Amino acid sequence: MVSLIRRTVSRGFLALMILIALLPILWTILGSFKKLKDIVTPVPTLIFTPTLENFTTILQNPSIRDGLGNSVVIVGVSVLLGALFGIPAAYSLARHVERKKDDLQFFVLSLRFMPPVAIAIPFIIIYLDSGIYDTLAGLILVYLISTISTVIWLSVPAFERVPREIEEAAAMEGCSQAEIFIKFALPIAAPSLFGSLVFTFVLVWNELLLALTLAAENATLPVVAASITSLGKEVPWGVINASTVILVLPPLVFIGLLMGFINRMVATGRK
Amino acid sequence: MQKQRFVFWTLAPAFSILAILALVSVAGALYFSVMDRSLRYPDYDFVGLYNYQRLLGDRRFLNALKISAIWEVVTVAGSLLVAVFLSVYIFETTRSARTRNLICLAFLAPVLLPRVAAAFIWRFLYSPSLGLINYLTGLLGFGPIEFLADPQLALFSVAVVDIWQWGLFFTVIMLKLLETLPRDPIEAAQLDNAKTWEIHAYVTMPMLKAPVISLALVKAVESLRSFDLIFVMTGGGPGTSTETLDLYAYQAGINLGGRVSYASAMSILLLLITTVVFTLVWRGIRKWSA
Amino acid sequence: MANIKCTRIRKSYGGHTVISDLNLDISDHEFVVFLGPSGCGKSTMLRMIAGLEEISDGTVSIGGRDVTHLPPGERGVAMVFQSYALYPHMSVYDNIAFGLRRQKVPAEEIRRRVDQVSNLLGLGQLLERKPKNLSGGQQQRVAMARAMIKTPKLFLFDEPLSNLDAKLREKLRTEIRRMHLELKTTTIFVTHDQLEAMTIADRIVLMRAGAIEQQGTPSEIFDRPATRFVADFIGSPAMNFRECSVHVEGDRAELVSGSIRLKVPAKDYRDLVSGARVEVGLRPSKMDIAAEGDVNIISGTVVLIENMGSEGQVIVDVDGREMSFVTKAFRTIEAGQRINFSIDPDNIHIFSRDDGRSLLHAAA
Repeated sequence: MVSLIRRTVSRGFLALMILIALLPILWTILGSFKKLKDIVTPVPTLIFTPTLENFTTILQNPSIRDGLGNSVVIVGVSVLLGALFGIPAAYSLARHVERKKDDLQFFVLSLRFMPPVAIAIPFIIIYLDSGIYDTLAGLILVYLISTISTVIWLSVPAFERVPREIEEAAAMEGCSQAEIFIKFALPIAAPSLFGSLVFTFVLVWNELLLALTLAAENATLPVVAASITSLGKEVPWGVINASTVILVLPPLVFIGLLMGFINRMVATGRK
Repeated sequence: MQKQRFVFWTLAPAFSILAILALVSVAGALYFSVMDRSLRYPDYDFVGLYNYQRLLGDRRFLNALKISAIWEVVTVAGSLLVAVFLSVYIFETTRSARTRNLICLAFLAPVLLPRVAAAFIWRFLYSPSLGLINYLTGLLGFGPIEFLADPQLALFSVAVVDIWQWGLFFTVIMLKLLETLPRDPIEAAQLDNAKTWEIHAYVTMPMLKAPVISLALVKAVESLRSFDLIFVMTGGGPGTSTETLDLYAYQAGINLGGRVSYASAMSILLLLITTVVFTLVWRGIRKWSA
Repeated sequence: MANIKCTRIRKSYGGHTVISDLNLDISDHEFVVFLGPSGCGKSTMLRMIAGLEEISDGTVSIGGRDVTHLPPGERGVAMVFQSYALYPHMSVYDNIAFGLRRQKVPAEEIRRRVDQVSNLLGLGQLLERKPKNLSGGQQQRVAMARAMIKTPKLFLFDEPLSNLDAKLREKLRTEIRRMHLELKTTTIFVTHDQLEAMTIADRIVLMRAGAIEQQGTPSEIFDRPATRFVADFIGSPAMNFRECSVHVEGDRAELVSGSIRLKVPAKDYRDLVSGARVEVGLRPSKMDIAAEGDVNIISGTVVLIENMGSEGQVIVDVDGREMSFVTKAFRTIEAGQRINFSIDPDNIHIFSRDDGRSLLHAAA
């Protein structure tokens, strides 16, 4: 009997925790289908006539459409370039650099220490003076700091987990360094590398400060979303909810991947 | 020879881009911090250390320093405490792998949210008139609480959101780490009749010392990027009660009159403080965990 | 022709020299085993011959061609790794065929040779599988097939059996040996297991601390160890050692330690003079319960008997220190009883106490 009560209590506590984790998100999704009059109620409503009004408002709003487009281009290109430069560098760092390895890795890590304002302030002046303020290319350039360093940081362990003997076996069959990298290290490390790219994607997709500072018309979705607090007189909660949902969707798609990534990292990190 | 060429061509492009960008921003900030450049006028003059001098006498700057420090401590400690407590709790009460996986999936969702989105979600929940939380407190008989408008509460209300994202995320990682621990020492402790909390306090947590420290470090670095959350939720207000250093630097440099040189001096100081603090912490940790 | 010649090999990591001035010749068709404790440099030697490790100084030639600075793929050698190093993202077929494809061998020819090699090793049914779906023994065979198909001038094996269980290890050991008898390809095989080395090698190169301690056929190494280290490393159960003083009487020398008195012909050994102190080694397998007329009898109290099946190892307390010998008649012995056992004078090994070298004249 006592154990039954204890089990029920602990079940209840866990359920509450899951609720705390998910309810805010679910509530927002629910809110995005509500008319304003269903939101502005003293008692929260669960039963209402759903509407797509908020989404149509949003998708018809040119600044949000542009923001979405800009986000896709800026994040896509900067992650792609991050992978292009970062992954080969991570491979060489993992395999062929011995004495300088710690220094180089610390340099990469120290870029993560750098406060974003410390990047934003000088770049805004340089961009204004050189005329690339408010361009996609300008944002992509500063995002490269994040993407390249994050990709390197997360991919070095992925390559270190590729058994060295496999690469040596390939060398015995006459493969050049580049071939070993492309035909062996890359496909074997691929699952972990993909995880590191997803992580990088989420990081840049969610970025606000640099985009807010270095762009005006051509800003990304977080900037646009942050600015719709006041469309007209009333606070358009339904529209805010809907734009939040759009902002949230792409990263949430990757939740399963992130889980697998954590499992691999943890499993091999503790040998 | 062929190998050296390969190593050079894989490392050089990535590291030269990183080095140039890092150098440009640091050198740029240093350069502008000794000028009197503002965004409105393209001309500027050398003013020496004037900006730094003014900073040290700027009460709003000192306030931001204090807020940043509180923010760091609260969010790092909060996330880790939540993670340790919840992971041990789940580890002890949930045996089925499927339930654990479901819990993990739920706990991972918040951290994936863009900070802007998380900020909106919680601003909505915190709202005194139509927020869910105040409705619930109202049912319990508390009057509407001004979570974000009360200067005493605002910073902690925002910190809760940060801990909601990171504490739950770290819970998943800690749970996975607990699962990978060898069973033998835990079973040995059970044979010695240790209580559950004793096992975790004296056996499992000491075994996880190194990963917990690195989680703390990751969180400390991540907490420096509080801008997005605070900017959307309170904008630094009410007053300056949630204005951290990066927020003040942004307000001074870009929003209010664009005193970029002043903001540059601030970001240089910020850079200096974080570098010094992190190097010290890094060394301390190495000594301590060695 | 694929003889191997290593001349004045040196290997340093940073300022730390692990191998210095090592010379080694291996003749065509020979099966050579590098044997030694871990860290003795045997794997480093193998990897330098393979080209996976840079050679700090000296030259390596394979079949008369200097390969010192050639990349591994151009040396005409194939290697089987300890972890097998199969390509996890390729099927067994692709694993085996990869090397030939790189050499632009026509597809039909590849198919024919893969079939031939895989049938030889019993892999016919497994060609479409991925390595992770194979057992350890099967993975090991795929690794061998991958090495064999290239018809290399030289096979290198780096502890290929140490990840397998005892039974499979024995089976594959025989297979490797049989394969060598058939193909006659020059082979270098690295192991730390002395029993494996004894059973498989034409010649053992026993290494210690980056230098060759002794090389020779398994019998030479077992019967005439050149140093105390070799004597101790080879043979199981391990050799008994006693420090003895020497008394020379005419053409006989007597070795004395406590109650032990062993007589050996003095002329077979160098430096045996009265009053000298030497280290004497006695192999347990070369001793037995004393029979009528035996000289060199040792007596003691039986401490313990270890049943090894057809033989037993008897551990005996002699003057307060333990010695052991092996006998088939172990079932008649009981712990606690007094026992006399003896050794043949030809099997007494005498080593210098200064440098550990054997004092036997013929042993170099």
